[in-house]
Amino acid sequence: MLRVQDLTIRLRHQDQPLVEGVSFAIERGELFCLVGESGSGKSLTALAIMRILDRGFLPPSGQVWLKGQGGTQDLLTLDEHGMEGVRGDRVGMIFQEPMTSLNPVWTVGQQIMEVLRLHRPELDAEAARRRTLEVLAEVQLPDPERRFEEFPHKLSGGQRQRVMIAMALVAEPDLLIADEPTTALDVTIQAEILKLIDRLREKNGMSVLLITHDFGVVAQVGDRVAVMHRGKLVEQGAARTVIANPGHVYTRQLIRALPENLPPLPPVSAGSRDTLLEVQGLRVHFPVLKGLLRRPVDYVRAVDDVSFDLSAGEVLAVVGESGSGKTTLGRAVLRLIEPTGGSVRYRGNAMETLDRKALRKARRHLQVVFQDPASSLNPRLTILTTLTEPMAAHDIGADHDERVERALKVLEQVALPPDTLWRYPHEFSGGQRQRIGIARALVLDPDIIICDEVTSALDVSVQAEILQILGRLRAERKLALLFITHNMGVVEYLSDRMLVMKDGRMEEIGATAEVIARPKADYTRHLLSAVPRVAEHLGRAAASGQV
Amino acid sequence: MTEQPRSPSWSRRILGEVLLRWGARLGLAWIALLTLVAVFAPLLANTHPLLVEDAEGWHSPMLTHLTPADTALLGAFFLALVLLFSPGAPLWRFLSWLGGLALIGALSLVLVSPPALVVYEQYREAEARGEYQRVVRAPIPYSAKDYLRDYADTGLESPRSSAERLHWFGTDENGADVLSRMIHATRIALSIGFIATGIALVIGVILGGLMGYFSGIVDIIGMRLVEIFEAIPTLFLLLTFVAFFGRSLYLMMLIIGLTSWSGYARYVRAEFLRLRQQDFVQGAIASGLSLPSILFRHMLPNGMAPILVAASFGVASAILAEATLSFLGLGLVDDPSWGQMLNQAVQSSTFNWWMAAFPGGAIFLTVFAYNLIGEALRDAVDPHSQSGRSAPPVKAAA
Amino acid sequence: MITYILRRLLLMVPTLLGITVVVFVVMAAAPGGISALSLVEGQNLEPQAKKALEDYYNRLYGLDQPAPVQFGRWLNNISPVGFAQDDTGALTGWPMFKTPDLGLSFRYGRPVTDLISERLPITLLLNVLSIPLIYVVAIAVGVRAATRRGQAFDTQAGVVLLGLWSIPTMLAGVLMIGFLASDQFWQWFPTGGLSRRAALDMPFLPQAEFWWTLPALLALGFLAASAFVVFSVRAGRSLRAGAGLLLGGWAGLAMAQDLDAVQSLAGLVLGGVAGAGIGALLGRSEWLALRIGLFGFAGMLIGFKTAGWLFSGGVASGFLLDRMWHLVLPVVCLSYGGLAFLAKLSRSAVLENLTADYARTARAKGVGERDVLWRHVFRNSLLPLITVSATLLPSLLAGSVIVEAIFSIEGMGKLAVEAVQTRDRELVLSITLISGLLTLAGYLLADLAYAIVDPRVSYD
Repeated sequence: MLRVQDLTIRLRHQDQPLVEGVSFAIERGELFCLVGESGSGKSLTALAIMRILDRGFLPPSGQVWLKGQGGTQDLLTLDEHGMEGVRGDRVGMIFQEPMTSLNPVWTVGQQIMEVLRLHRPELDAEAARRRTLEVLAEVQLPDPERRFEEFPHKLSGGQRQRVMIAMALVAEPDLLIADEPTTALDVTIQAEILKLIDRLREKNGMSVLLITHDFGVVAQVGDRVAVMHRGKLVEQGAARTVIANPGHVYTRQLIRALPENLPPLPPVSAGSRDTLLEVQGLRVHFPVLKGLLRRPVDYVRAVDDVSFDLSAGEVLAVVGESGSGKTTLGRAVLRLIEPTGGSVRYRGNAMETLDRKALRKARRHLQVVFQDPASSLNPRLTILTTLTEPMAAHDIGADHDERVERALKVLEQVALPPDTLWRYPHEFSGGQRQRIGIARALVLDPDIIICDEVTSALDVSVQAEILQILGRLRAERKLALLFITHNMGVVEYLSDRMLVMKDGRMEEIGATAEVIARPKADYTRHLLSAVPRVAEHLGRAAASGQV
Repeated sequence: MTEQPRSPSWSRRILGEVLLRWGARLGLAWIALLTLVAVFAPLLANTHPLLVEDAEGWHSPMLTHLTPADTALLGAFFLALVLLFSPGAPLWRFLSWLGGLALIGALSLVLVSPPALVVYEQYREAEARGEYQRVVRAPIPYSAKDYLRDYADTGLESPRSSAERLHWFGTDENGADVLSRMIHATRIALSIGFIATGIALVIGVILGGLMGYFSGIVDIIGMRLVEIFEAIPTLFLLLTFVAFFGRSLYLMMLIIGLTSWSGYARYVRAEFLRLRQQDFVQGAIASGLSLPSILFRHMLPNGMAPILVAASFGVASAILAEATLSFLGLGLVDDPSWGQMLNQAVQSSTFNWWMAAFPGGAIFLTVFAYNLIGEALRDAVDPHSQSGRSAPPVKAAA
Repeated sequence: MITYILRRLLLMVPTLLGITVVVFVVMAAAPGGISALSLVEGQNLEPQAKKALEDYYNRLYGLDQPAPVQFGRWLNNISPVGFAQDDTGALTGWPMFKTPDLGLSFRYGRPVTDLISERLPITLLLNVLSIPLIYVVAIAVGVRAATRRGQAFDTQAGVVLLGLWSIPTMLAGVLMIGFLASDQFWQWFPTGGLSRRAALDMPFLPQAEFWWTLPALLALGFLAASAFVVFSVRAGRSLRAGAGLLLGGWAGLAMAQDLDAVQSLAGLVLGGVAGAGIGALLGRSEWLALRIGLFGFAGMLIGFKTAGWLFSGGVASGFLLDRMWHLVLPVVCLSYGGLAFLAKLSRSAVLENLTADYARTARAKGVGERDVLWRHVFRNSLLPLITVSATLLPSLLAGSVIVEAIFSIEGMGKLAVEAVQTRDRELVLSITLISGLLTLAGYLLADLAYAIVDPRVSYD
């Protein structure tokens, strides 16, 4: 169906190619996965096939053969007019960010009908409308008639992605390219979208090029897979085979970095485990203001009656999808957002009643590390200042030199070299910045660190490093971690207990192993079943004799 | 602990980016030229000869007629030059320059007192009488207020039209040399630009910062104030101020500053609102840092970027405002000003093109220079338009 | 939506109040303040006569009362709900609905309402003509610069626009009058005012001796213009360059001839050559909009000239044409600054949208680049332009002050300057109120327009 040969992509004014000599083939009706970490060039490859690369790139070299009714064509040699005919008609593409990928000022129906207008001009308005509604129903969008007239901002992320799929499929293409279609979606929605793509593939006999970084997805729906690293294709083969027995060093590295394959964490030293944190009935409600005088008519219950305990050396994972309130929970515990009700006690002392001065002093013991490495460090300060300033504010260390010593020690613990101190944040990669963030939290010698989705923006291999650093710190310092995440693999690996949240409410709480094996709440079950797990799928495949 | 070489800080990087752009370089060059002209005006355009040798020996009329403003400017210039090349943090050097400026200003006011009565004709008459053995004159031997009363027929004259006197840019309606007046008017233009914008910045940053950080009732009242000052047509308010309060340079600076702070307040408020949600600010709060530290170390430096850009455009519009007021006849009366000279271009029935071209051109070039600098700053600060030299950080590839 | 509008209207009131308070405070705090003294000062009268005049003014305008009281009285006068006053200035009657009264102008002795209703339409006319001009040209330039990012047109246009923005309005006006409206150089336009004196007696529309003259004139102009437009669209580059050369050379010669300063043959030749060069360059240009505009304009002029030569019957230009002729320079002077700003803004808006995710999706659907631009990106790029239109009106009003002063147009701007110069309390306050009202109304309209164009925005 599609054969890519020796594809090379370069930026104008740069010698080093971003993608080099990539070759693979996709058969009719198969789901081909292209896997790699960020910067591997997988998205660029897809954009090159569609020839919608940004102007800053040179036209790619190599060949891209597409089989059609009239024979096989090399897409890279087609003129622009011919390419426009191919796009949307014979090859459809969907993208990662459903929120911004639809035109905000056109209705859903208008956007889909445009494809028909371009590629099926023989259909009149009425027939086009019928076909559009048909395809909207096919992607399982509830109430297609109403959705037809709506604007994209009224739809949820999952619904928008379905609209994108509908738009890509309405002209019945032979090939669908999906560039990380589920990465920005919640886990439960992700599972549905993947199943949808798979089903449509079977129904229409369509080929699918699925780009992802998640091996779980590959194991779930992939027929064949190719692994890319720094612009080169390092390995390809049947999905099951590659995952079970990776040939290339890099592939092996990637598989090993999956949380389920990581070596077990060092155990916490024996001894008493004080109860550090007691949260009781925590509530955070935001008023919704309407009307002429802006009176509150309703409340958004971001956190609704959540209670839990946290002991020294323990990792409590807070799991939930977007909008579940887990981030708000973390901030409310720290009083970065003022709770509307309930109590938070640190070592028996109520936190919510402290005045400003006392609160500032108490903050020493509860630290936080954030999700986005790009904005978690003040870009104007050197790392030295970032690390020593909190120490100075809490009178740790007798003088500046002593604080520098302590900063160096902390950097050692997060495996960063000493000359980091004299640099600025923009000189570091995302993973390194997360480590600096952890160092900043450690510098005050806290008892509790709240980790707010600290690995969600990181590649799998970087995530593995961070998780192991956290595990080591927990063992050495008896640190308690409140680990907020939506990644179940990480939860299983790192946490002792877990708390499941949905719409602000606590669905379930208990020991991790227990909750995963025997979930009590329905939502927990639903959540667990939606997570694509490599081993699971491999196991099933092995059982059915496919490996 | 030995300190290792530091990588360039943000300010230095931005400066580097800005200087890369030819527009900024041109603009800065022009401003530098104007600054030199303003500082050395008494040496460039003066009826008082620099040096005279007559029967009593050598003396320098120029030096004896220096005003406190002249000496203060000269002193400030050399102090700035010295401080520029001395070590130390930029902030401290700037503050010590300000302190030095105040000192020099006070000293000048006390010590320097030029004679009150100035007769410009005496030098030309004395030279005609042959009293001088040697004379060293300024390149443009006319002062700004020298109305050439010893020549009877003066009035608006086009450049180089008179046989006996050389006026490169012609003369204005009172007979004064245009080039000389333009040189001396540079001081007013530049100082109004900086001081007025400075006042507006201070007010705007303080109010905007308070609004952005505290929200609530402070924000509501502050926004109403901002809206009021935005909705008043600025020019009209300026006209009202000047017409009712009379004309004085300092008053004009104050008034222009008071009417243009609303833009800066909006920017600072928007930046603070955005920054408050940024992770590193939340992290600073969570680390228990004190409020002043959070405001001045974490929030303000990171929010300065759009304000710097706006300030550059603001200086341009302050200069324009002063020129407009002068043009409408509401500016300074006796002191030279570019706008006032522009006014004279159309006052009589003929079109006096040299009054429009030269002072008008000076206004245009100065405003253009500041706009170029502002544009370059904007491009340098905007992360989307990097010149490609510094690649944006790669996402999370260890 | 209705509640939103109501809320905004209600919020306008304190802002308007604030504005008038600020202006009033400025007036009252000034040396001399708002007392009858300043009105009588300049006049050469005996002390007794002066005192009598003072008393008269005090009674008439209530100038002897303390400032807050004066302000209160004025508020009472302008609001539709308040106390009525009798001739001596004492309050009578219960609070009831009455017509807002803006007071009497000191200087003119006429009701302020009359003055404003005479002058405001003129200023509005200037501004209303400017706004579409600004938007059309700015969008055309901005879009082109954005689609050719980094190329010659973009960088050159960027510099030119920045330069235009930097030209002070007064300089532009003075230069325009000096070069285009005086007899020392070209006199294509009148030196000022809104109409010739004679024009006030003229009929509105142009009139001609024979009934068929005007339609023939129009027809010829239209035909010639269309012919030229078609030529500019279809003809090849060298042909267009050649045509541009001829037209430009002819125009250059004509302009050089008009100049007093050019006496010699050399000057004429220079003018002709310069014109030819510029004409050739413009003819060669790839910018369709520019070619159509210029060639069409040239064609129209040629058509009119030919018609004038063929049909020798006299044509009297009516009031309308005369007014339009007088308005060209002031409108251009008022618009170029806003145009430069808006062009830069539209460039950045279009650039941002061209690289947006949804544009990428459109390309992936097989939409051609031209359609991506005009069908998808364009409407989204309009949004920031609408927001900015709110601030355009106040800056245009300020610009009117200068333009009206230079071109001697009796509009609100000129009235404002006079009012302030003569310390005319009623007039100053009323003008402040009106311009504040216009500005706030502009903001509200802009927000509403935004809500209409952007489906994501809804005001509840």
